[in-house]
Amino acid sequence: ATALMLCVFTVMGKAEGSVAREEWHGHVTALSVAPEFRRLGLAAKLMELLEEISEKKGGFFVDLFVRVSNQVAVNMYKQLGYSVYRTVLEYYSASNGEPDEDAYDMRKALSRDTEKKSIIPLPHPVRPEDIE
Amino acid sequence: DYLDNGNNKMAIQQADKLLKKHKDLHCAKVLKAIGLQRTGKQDEAYALAQEVAALEPTDDNSLQALTILYREMHRPELVTKLYEAAVKKVPNSEEYHSHLFMAYARVGEYKKMQQAGMALYKIVPKNPYYFWSVMSLIMQSISAQDENLSKTMFLPLAERMVEKMVKEDKIEAEAEVELYYMILERLEKYKEALDVVRGKLGEKLTSELQSRENKCMAMYKKLCRWPECNALSRRLLLKNSDDWQFYITYFDSMFQLIDESWTPPPEEEHSLEGEVHYSIEQAVKFIEERITEESKSSRPLRGPYLAKLELIRRLRYRGCNDEYKLGDPEELMFQYFKKFGDKPCCFTDLKVFVDLLPSSQYTKFISQLLEVIPLSAPAESEIALPADIKALQQHLCVVQLSRLLGIYHTMDKKQKLTVVRELMLRYHHGLEFGKSCLKTELQFSDYYCLLAVHLLLDLWLEGEETAVWQCLTVLEEGLSHSPSNAQFKLLLIRIYCRLGAFEPVAELYSSLDAKHIQHDTIGYLLTRYAESLGHYAAASQSCNFALRFFHSNQKDTSEYIIQAYKYGAFEKIPEFIAFRNRLNSSLHFAQVRTERMLLDLLLEANISTSLEESIKSMSLSPEDDDIPWKDLRDNRDLTVLFSWDPKDRDISEEHRKLSLEEETMWLRIRSLTLRLVSGLPTLSHAIQPKNSEKTAENGVSSKIDTIRSLLQQLEAAVDSGKKFLEQKIQYPVLGPPPTRMAGFFSNGSCQCQTSLFYLVSDIYELDTNGLEDSAEIQERIGNSLKSLVERLTDLFNKCKGDLIEVRDGTLKTHPNLLENLVFFVETISIALWVSSYCDSVLRPFKSNLQKKKKKKKESSVAMPPVFTHFMDYVTELQTLTSNVIDHIKGLEIILTALKLEEVSLKDTLLLQ
Repeated sequence: ATALMLCVFTVMGKAEGSVAREEWHGHVTALSVAPEFRRLGLAAKLMELLEEISEKKGGFFVDLFVRVSNQVAVNMYKQLGYSVYRTVLEYYSASNGEPDEDAYDMRKALSRDTEKKSIIPLPHPVRPEDIE
Repeated sequence: DYLDNGNNKMAIQQADKLLKKHKDLHCAKVLKAIGLQRTGKQDEAYALAQEVAALEPTDDNSLQALTILYREMHRPELVTKLYEAAVKKVPNSEEYHSHLFMAYARVGEYKKMQQAGMALYKIVPKNPYYFWSVMSLIMQSISAQDENLSKTMFLPLAERMVEKMVKEDKIEAEAEVELYYMILERLEKYKEALDVVRGKLGEKLTSELQSRENKCMAMYKKLCRWPECNALSRRLLLKNSDDWQFYITYFDSMFQLIDESWTPPPEEEHSLEGEVHYSIEQAVKFIEERITEESKSSRPLRGPYLAKLELIRRLRYRGCNDEYKLGDPEELMFQYFKKFGDKPCCFTDLKVFVDLLPSSQYTKFISQLLEVIPLSAPAESEIALPADIKALQQHLCVVQLSRLLGIYHTMDKKQKLTVVRELMLRYHHGLEFGKSCLKTELQFSDYYCLLAVHLLLDLWLEGEETAVWQCLTVLEEGLSHSPSNAQFKLLLIRIYCRLGAFEPVAELYSSLDAKHIQHDTIGYLLTRYAESLGHYAAASQSCNFALRFFHSNQKDTSEYIIQAYKYGAFEKIPEFIAFRNRLNSSLHFAQVRTERMLLDLLLEANISTSLEESIKSMSLSPEDDDIPWKDLRDNRDLTVLFSWDPKDRDISEEHRKLSLEEETMWLRIRSLTLRLVSGLPTLSHAIQPKNSEKTAENGVSSKIDTIRSLLQQLEAAVDSGKKFLEQKIQYPVLGPPPTRMAGFFSNGSCQCQTSLFYLVSDIYELDTNGLEDSAEIQERIGNSLKSLVERLTDLFNKCKGDLIEVRDGTLKTHPNLLENLVFFVETISIALWVSSYCDSVLRPFKSNLQKKKKKKKESSVAMPPVFTHFMDYVTELQTLTSNVIDHIKGLEIILTALKLEEVSLKDTLLLQ
């Protein structure tokens, strides 16, 4: 019974960015839940936990990248309070001859960003080389 | 710039131009060296680099360029020399010192790291540098062979270093507290570690969730402080009643307290962590309360319900029945199903507790579950189908449970086929719900398909030949609807391999897109069969995948460690090292290393290059054994294929143990074979320089001793292998595949190969004794040559027959014919290598004799019998090989005919 929940999900996150420019934030590197353990709200739980840590570390926002085509994920993040901050063109390189895919950079402001400045959407898409 | 663009030639030219103008521009020289290195001129590059390095440069550009160059040359130790010289010249450079530290880290020079860290701290008193030095002490303690030394010297020193900072109130970062905890834990000073975590310093632990609580819990356990364990788990469960690990510690500690008859101290707090539960009544009440609380929660939580079942399980184990009125497990599981049956995890949740059901109740239990699923029977269908995904999920859960309870296993053939038909119907019906699924998503009804195949596999193993072909069509169909389903692919791979059809496997496996560690965990699926079924190119490739991963692991880990130092993630460093060690002692790694070399010899030696050159280029030598036999780790994922089988049919710990034992025995045989082959060229006199006869003689005689000792070891390995096989172990069909050892023994290739190596030993004896007075040896050689031909012919006969046999309208494949053929080819290759050794010994004898003959001008010098024996042997080998080639051509013709039939079948289908 003990090992049931081991290894069924991972969320890798880290803190990055500069504090002075109010860019210090938590970043979701990857989030996945094994098919067997879906529909239990685990992803939401994991996101909540990362937000909690990011709050403790004094971040301004949490951000993540997601494939534009991954509607299930995009909708889930929206439900969790994330919004599209900008589109990053051809962020995901494809392997088998298919075209590269765009990413949404989605963000959620944390309490330190009182005016929610960090999530005001950019008017134009950006190239991967223009993001730091 | 040219280097960055990959234009190495231009880079070299530009560097040359610069050097003409400024003769001593170090940096240009190094850049040129990088260009040379990248164009394959390693020696020139090295010479040029050393020229610069000898001058001990201190300019940043040269140093950095040299670092890049040395890294590309895989000579990280040279970087340390470079910066050692640099810091000597510029003793106050923070930058060079820190480069030096990282250079030491890359090569694992822990002691020097410790010193470099301190040197840095003296120049720039920044905390991280101080703690780099502390961490390096821990690394010394980890790598120390002598545990005593690590506990009495390195760790206490590290502890004192941290204590000094604590006293001076200089602790700044979370990482530093982590490090302190790590030291105390390793010193087994659990009490002190606990104080740190609970104290002021512990407040810094924020990066990980419940980091403080988890560390406290770990220490309580180590200290056997069950009251605290219990109270802390209780408190954490009150906060989150879905965290399974804390139920486990809660129960564990409660039963510990009961066994110790613990009672709380009067008029005091129960424990450091508050209230303690030390009786079953309290636990029952606590769990019931969690369930009541759960009903108020917005999202259903599984934890409390599963905890109740877990408590029942533990009480049963202790001999209690329902004294505590927790309820009937069957009813509780039924209720659980009603609540969570539509979640995909419901099956795995309940699987743990089916032992609580009496077997007489299985059928009743299943029909009880079926009754509550909202299924509706459409008029034209004989079975009731789910109307939505939730109902489908519930039904699937019941089917999985049915298989787990063994309900399908007791059915007869006809019943099983009925269930297969029903499952396939449900599978097709369920596809409707997944019409909008992306091709990266799975279909909701995929498990129906998989379960149907499992039933068909049961039928196949019971002797129903047609069932396996149905498995293939069903799975291929499933894959067409659900192209990302790894289970379909894995099962197809297993079945194709069992049937001996490797061709589709390579593509299926590559579509699994195995990455990184998976090359170690599931690579065996491919490497076990690729070579044994004669797909040499695929075999070679599959070994390469794995080897590339294992080799890069070494380098990558150093990079991770350096990153961990930079970011202060100290607690990860021992983990990285443990990971690297685990990969280095991987069973699969040792296997692919060995098989890859055997394969290369088989494919190249004496074809494109001589055996001697091949062995030299692999730096093989019979004396060297690089396999860590004692520490071999089985990293294979043996449950990668789903199974819903009951415990007694599923893969067990015993199977794992036996499989590892078998794999290790087989690896030993293979590695000894490889080492024996690698010893062959060392025996030839031809390669010894003539003028140093004395030493050469000694060298060779020790070589034959090595070979004879290896041969003895091989005999021993074969013996234990045979003993192992006498147990006639049958692994579950979805479990570990058996090794090739059984075939190797039964088809006779083992005997052939060992007698070939004995022949080598005899020939060597003839070589040292000369032709005179060696009648006995000559006769022995003659006999073994004769019996070798017989054995090889025998082996060849075992390769003959139809690969696909049609009997009574059913098809049956004979993969063992292919396996035998592959063994035959390998054995005959060894025979040929041994023959060239024989030839190299006999030829000089013969020419000497002929010279004598000419001198004496008389015909009375008789040819010793060994020459005729050898001539006969070679002729027969030639006949045999040409027969084999004819046989293989015959097989190709049959295959082509099959393909033609396939094409014409497709045509007919198209016409229809």
